[in-house]
Amino acid sequence: MTEGKSELVLGIETSCDETSASVVREGREILSLVISSQTDLHSRYGGVVPELASRAHLEALMPAVEESLREAGVGLRDIGAVAVTRGPGLIGSLLVGLTAAKALSFALDIPLVGVNHLEAHIYAVFLEHPEVGPPLVAFVVSGGHTVLAYMPRHLEYEVLGETLDDAAGEAYDKVARLLDLGYPGGPIIDRLARQGDPEAVRFPRALMHDGTYNFSLSGLKTAVSNYVRQARASNRAFRVEDLAASFQAAVVEVQVEKIARAALEKGVGQVVIAGGVAANSYLREKLKERLDRHGISLFYPSIKLCLDNAAMVAALGYYLLREGKTSDLGLEATAVLPIGSP
Amino acid sequence: MTVRLITRSEDETEQWGRKLASQLREGDCLLLVGELGAGKTCFVRGIAQGLGVEERVTSPTFVLLREHRGRIALYHLDAYRLAGPEDLYQLGVEELAEGDGVLAVEWGDKVRDFFRDDYLEIEIKILGDSVRELSLIPHGDSWKTRMEALFPQLGENGAQAK
Repeated sequence: MTEGKSELVLGIETSCDETSASVVREGREILSLVISSQTDLHSRYGGVVPELASRAHLEALMPAVEESLREAGVGLRDIGAVAVTRGPGLIGSLLVGLTAAKALSFALDIPLVGVNHLEAHIYAVFLEHPEVGPPLVAFVVSGGHTVLAYMPRHLEYEVLGETLDDAAGEAYDKVARLLDLGYPGGPIIDRLARQGDPEAVRFPRALMHDGTYNFSLSGLKTAVSNYVRQARASNRAFRVEDLAASFQAAVVEVQVEKIARAALEKGVGQVVIAGGVAANSYLREKLKERLDRHGISLFYPSIKLCLDNAAMVAALGYYLLREGKTSDLGLEATAVLPIGSP
Repeated sequence: MTVRLITRSEDETEQWGRKLASQLREGDCLLLVGELGAGKTCFVRGIAQGLGVEERVTSPTFVLLREHRGRIALYHLDAYRLAGPEDLYQLGVEELAEGDGVLAVEWGDKVRDFFRDDYLEIEIKILGDSVRELSLIPHGDSWKTRMEALFPQLGENGAQAK
């Protein structure tokens, strides 16, 4: 590796429905970020369709890589390392990114760095907030994940709790499906909820005071389903806005309670939330209110970096590279990969 | 023979999953059918417990396929977002269906054509807030025999249990 170029990391992310490439300098400065979203492709199915996703990644990836280099004003030869999401995610989708990254690493003779997608979400926060760093408590919440973790130092994680059944984003999608609202459910419910009464229906707050940091949303989904079924059966009208607000309040109240408790127990001054559902305005507002009371600061990425993106992959890749934690060409895609796994 | 069971709580639905597990062997395929919130994952959780899986069964919706290790393996698949049976080949399910474990498929009606006439269909209907009707519908001789073993009180034409 020649002197000077090691600071530029090319990130590649294809774990779910976004094809993304990005060039990041020293894990902090985004020189380019290209995200090619498949949301339109999948919205008519109410979720990501795996076979469609893999094919779309295949078509979109190399153009995205080229565009990210052009936007950054660099050539392939300037890149010092390539970082790629190795999991968790859809195997077929992950493989597209992984294969491309291996080819680049081999052809350019630069290090390959396999990255955990969930950990990368946390590093998205550091990209935009250089003042933030461990020790902190992180809540990674998205369509497929709900994890609360303690991060004592860079690259070190202790999982405090996670969902026992459905991920938060999944619950939003499923409730949106129950109410015929469309896909993805998160932003739609968030928007409707602003015009609704969060106390209209008292939905269950699962595991609120169970003494763990785990979450459970399956029962809440069923409660919403029961409510809708009964209302329809008895021709009782209800406002979708109220239902959205009441559902969201039940989700967020438990999250806020557990995140705040974790932060207090670990004695940290910083909390970060990341992942697609960290874009939820109600969660941001309620959590900030709560943490303010304890003098704890809350940080989250801009909406663009909340969603799956390659800049966060490149950022985390840089930290791993610095510690010599590179991967060989045998690196495999892993569908289930908890935070902190080797 | 179709067996119909009424359950009045999630726990009861889970319990039937545990009971069914005693009859399960490698290569078995279970298709779960029922609307959102019916309790498909709950039933699979019972099966997992019956198979001696220690970790908790979480929703496979996002990753599509989760693998659990018990007395025999349990492959838990969510077919909701699959376009059709051909997607199962893509996921390598063909090997799983004949392999070393039990394959449980949620939204199984979407991929029914994939399975030859040798599977158990579990249809879950929502009757009330926590009341469910489970219909166990055997396809193929092996399942018919095992259903008789599981529900000996049922006669030749027995259709109702409980």
